[in-house]
Amino acid sequence: MAKENRSVIQPRSLARARKVDKVPFVELYAGRLQGVVSSGSDEDRVYVSYFEAGTGNFYCSTNNNRPCGGLRGSPCKHLASLLDEALLQYGAERLVHGLGLSAEPDKVKRGGDLLRFIKGGPHKIEAGVVFSRFLTYLHHVSVKPTTAPIPEMGWFVR
Amino acid sequence: MALRDLKTPPASVTEASAALDALDDALVGGFGRLSAANLEALHGLHRSFAATPLAGELAAAIAGISRSEFLDRHFLVLAAARSAVLGAMHDALLAQACAALGRPAPEIEAIAAGAGQAAPPQVEVWLESARHWLMELALAGFANLELEILLPFQATLDAMSSEPALVRQHALLGGFLEEMLAVFPRRGEIAAPRRRWADLWARALVLAAGAPEPLRSRPTSGSLTIYGADLRQHDHLATLVVYGALAEEGAGTRLVRASVSASKVDVIQGAELGGLFAEVAPNLVAALASGQRLTLTKAPLLGCGDLIWEDSRTNLGAKAGALVEAAKLLAAAPALRPCLAPADRHPALIDELVFVPDSECAGGPPLPIERIPTTEDLLATDLAGNKGFVALLRFDGGAWGLQPLAIDKGKPLPRMVGAGLAAGAKGHKSSSLATLKERAGKLLRKKS
Repeated sequence: MAKENRSVIQPRSLARARKVDKVPFVELYAGRLQGVVSSGSDEDRVYVSYFEAGTGNFYCSTNNNRPCGGLRGSPCKHLASLLDEALLQYGAERLVHGLGLSAEPDKVKRGGDLLRFIKGGPHKIEAGVVFSRFLTYLHHVSVKPTTAPIPEMGWFVR
Repeated sequence: MALRDLKTPPASVTEASAALDALDDALVGGFGRLSAANLEALHGLHRSFAATPLAGELAAAIAGISRSEFLDRHFLVLAAARSAVLGAMHDALLAQACAALGRPAPEIEAIAAGAGQAAPPQVEVWLESARHWLMELALAGFANLELEILLPFQATLDAMSSEPALVRQHALLGGFLEEMLAVFPRRGEIAAPRRRWADLWARALVLAAGAPEPLRSRPTSGSLTIYGADLRQHDHLATLVVYGALAEEGAGTRLVRASVSASKVDVIQGAELGGLFAEVAPNLVAALASGQRLTLTKAPLLGCGDLIWEDSRTNLGAKAGALVEAAKLLAAAPALRPCLAPADRHPALIDELVFVPDSECAGGPPLPIERIPTTEDLLATDLAGNKGFVALLRFDGGAWGLQPLAIDKGKPLPRMVGAGLAAGAKGHKSSSLATLKERAGKLLRKKS
């Protein structure tokens, strides 16, 4: 029977595990690829970076809204690492679709291969918008597990 | 046992399934712009509820919606009607399965209300937000969703995540929102998985009708033998469901279900989930790997056969020959076994535990194999040359199927979903989970 008449559908491509020490947070969310990248030099500093699907606009700043020094009209190294890690996490097909790029997924070997398809320019957004998503993300690993039954999870198979 | 007899569902189920299309099509296209055909189909749905308690409410809801009176109450009535149809389909399907398997219908044990705490007042506010948001989805239609409709609910959802009374609501709404967001950036109309999203929408609305009642449990003691496990997950929640037999002290042997659900993030996968589950259920995770029995002492048991896992009430015991016992017990399953509460019944949630002996696998499994979770612990290829397997009898897409949970390969331990979790439960300092928890410890403390 057709997929439209099934209740349980296993998603085709899954997010994959990756090391999270350098780039602790990556997400394709609401038409943006966004994330948090650790500073190479200062352990307590993080950069908040994003690419917007469609426009191809991007930005990178510290979580205190100080613009990244590497951002001179083109993506900085933090934005490049964001793409690299996103490729590991989501795979080329989902990443290319999520950013609405014209790249051929089969030919993407590393995140940097996608940079030439990014047509936008630097466009500032408040770092807090992304950083609060990161805090919510961290909150998810801090909630105590429950042993109450959740029959509704029967709809979610991976 | 005659699983092979379950080739076709009862005719009444197929007819009822077609009746749901009326409502589901309207949900895809949007109640804000119903066509004449949609309205006619909704009236048809109403006619099939004539002489039922919902008839009056349904007539009022459909009349109200056709006059563009958009109240969440009207949509709640539609969701309740849809759930009632699915509940009836569930009952007909389970009766068919029980007849084929030669087992009695599952029995719900009546348990008196305890001194459970009522849900805190903000729960009503969040549920009202959820109802309102679900109505907005219905008005827009799944094919025409916009980020402006989806995103404002995220804040409510995040707030709900810390409220234990709303674990079911949060689990479902979170998974549903995540799936809808994944289609963006959208190109043209969204190819919505009609039946699935209508299921999630309707169940979410029914669960948002009012604050949930506290769970009713009674203490039980005895010896638990694990027969198999299932792993369910979306990006932000993973649920381990364990099935087994409990030899109750002073009573017979019954089947039970126990579950652990851990909030998580997408990069936490595979064995690493064990670290999360083991935070509250280390003995359960250990027993899955070692094949040991568990002794329960005054553990809480719910009427539908769910154990509420409290690890301090359990002890690891001797190793069990689980699948040999499963073969024997499941050949004539007791009536006291896991099932769904009447309001939760849905064909896709049927999880009837069965043992499929190798004699039934000659020429392939007796029913199509489905829903194997992504795990190294058990693969579809393990079915080749099996000596029998434990499975859940499933129904979806108009057909019966089997979901293997544990496969006897003639070795001391069966291949079993969840067996590898114990390895991840030990925790490594360099694991993603450890790294994120360390960050959370620093940042979330700073924030508060």
